[in-house]
Amino acid sequence: MKRTLPGYLAIAASAALFIGCQTAPKDEGIIVEARDAVSRAESDPDISKYAPTELTRARQFLTNAEGAAKSKGARSPDAAQYAYLATQTARVAAQRAHEQVAMAHIKAGETERQKILVSARENETQRAQADAQQARAESQNARAETQSAQAQAAQAQAEAQRLAAQLENVQATQTDRGMVLTLGGDVLFDSGRASLKPGAQRSIEQIASFLEEHPDRRVQIEGFTDDQGTDDYNLELSQKRADAVAMAIIQRGIEAQRVQATGYGEQYPKASNNSAGSRQLNRRVEIVVGKDNQAIPARQPPVAP
Amino acid sequence: MITLSGIRNAIWCGVAFGIVACAATPMPSDKLAVAKSSVDRAEQAQAGQFAQGELTSARNKLAAAQAAADKHDADVAARMADQAQVDAQLAEFTARAKQQEQLAAQMDASLDDLRHEAQRNSATAAPQSPPPQ
Repeated sequence: MKRTLPGYLAIAASAALFIGCQTAPKDEGIIVEARDAVSRAESDPDISKYAPTELTRARQFLTNAEGAAKSKGARSPDAAQYAYLATQTARVAAQRAHEQVAMAHIKAGETERQKILVSARENETQRAQADAQQARAESQNARAETQSAQAQAAQAQAEAQRLAAQLENVQATQTDRGMVLTLGGDVLFDSGRASLKPGAQRSIEQIASFLEEHPDRRVQIEGFTDDQGTDDYNLELSQKRADAVAMAIIQRGIEAQRVQATGYGEQYPKASNNSAGSRQLNRRVEIVVGKDNQAIPARQPPVAP
Repeated sequence: MITLSGIRNAIWCGVAFGIVACAATPMPSDKLAVAKSSVDRAEQAQAGQFAQGELTSARNKLAAAQAAADKHDADVAARMADQAQVDAQLAEFTARAKQQEQLAAQMDASLDDLRHEAQRNSATAAPQSPPPQ
């Protein structure tokens, strides 16, 4: 195949164009790359802040590269060299900024750590103070409660004693169950009877008015006899007598649930029953005045002889 | 005819030429020294671990600069030395940045732990509601 001269020229021209297209952007490319790298670095506020020296140097290298490209051509070794130095220096600036940002982050973290520790310590102190305060308050409350309980008990005793003093023919004893007022059976009842004598009304009146003044107190009325007669008879009689006293109190306006009555017959004697005098001591009604608003505990069963 | 003065002149010419020739191509020993110390600094900053590529490039270019200097090619030696120097600097700062970033991440993690612990402590101790009756 024979080629014409214009044909060879065309091939040569296209080859030159091809080579030109391929090489020219490569040489230009390194300057474009440097320009990009520097302008990226310039737009990063961290780099302006933390690596201004490196940024200035990168700019200077870029200026040199562009100057060399203009005077000696974009493909000149100087242009390529300065462009490379500009790109790398821009990268150095970026890394330096990364380092400084990380260091600032660490420093802020250290401050934050201190803040957390201090506030944790403060919380701890506050909590300890609050705990101590609460403990103090609790012990004060407990003391106050004890004092008020003691005061209440003392008051109750004083009141019961005042009542005892008001009553005639009454013996007052302080027990665990409360104040026990012992009224002689012969004063309240005729022998063998379960209805109150007129003379008993005064004592009943005083007990009722005491209960009226102290609406939280309860009373337990307990009837006892001597050992004369059968057990059943005595038990029934003592119960009827206790009931009679209770009824009389209730009739004076005291709520029935505050007044309990129990007959114990011959049980729980105060004396031996061997003489008329000791039997008189055993014939009695005991009125247990509660210490507080609680129910009065039951009598313990008699100790076996 | 070759005179004595002519020979002397010729010698002077030769000396002068030699001086000029030496002055025209001074080896960039200062640039080489700077590049070498930059590579050393990068190595000390653990670039071998954190910026392997940049450090390798710096070492290769330093070797190329040395080789060019040995062949009395001052231009190439200077260019390679400058490139080696900037590559070494990039290696150094990349390594330093990565290490600081690792430390920052560790700090963040330990702060998270600390916050959780503080929160848990105040949550377990704070409420003192009375027990149900």
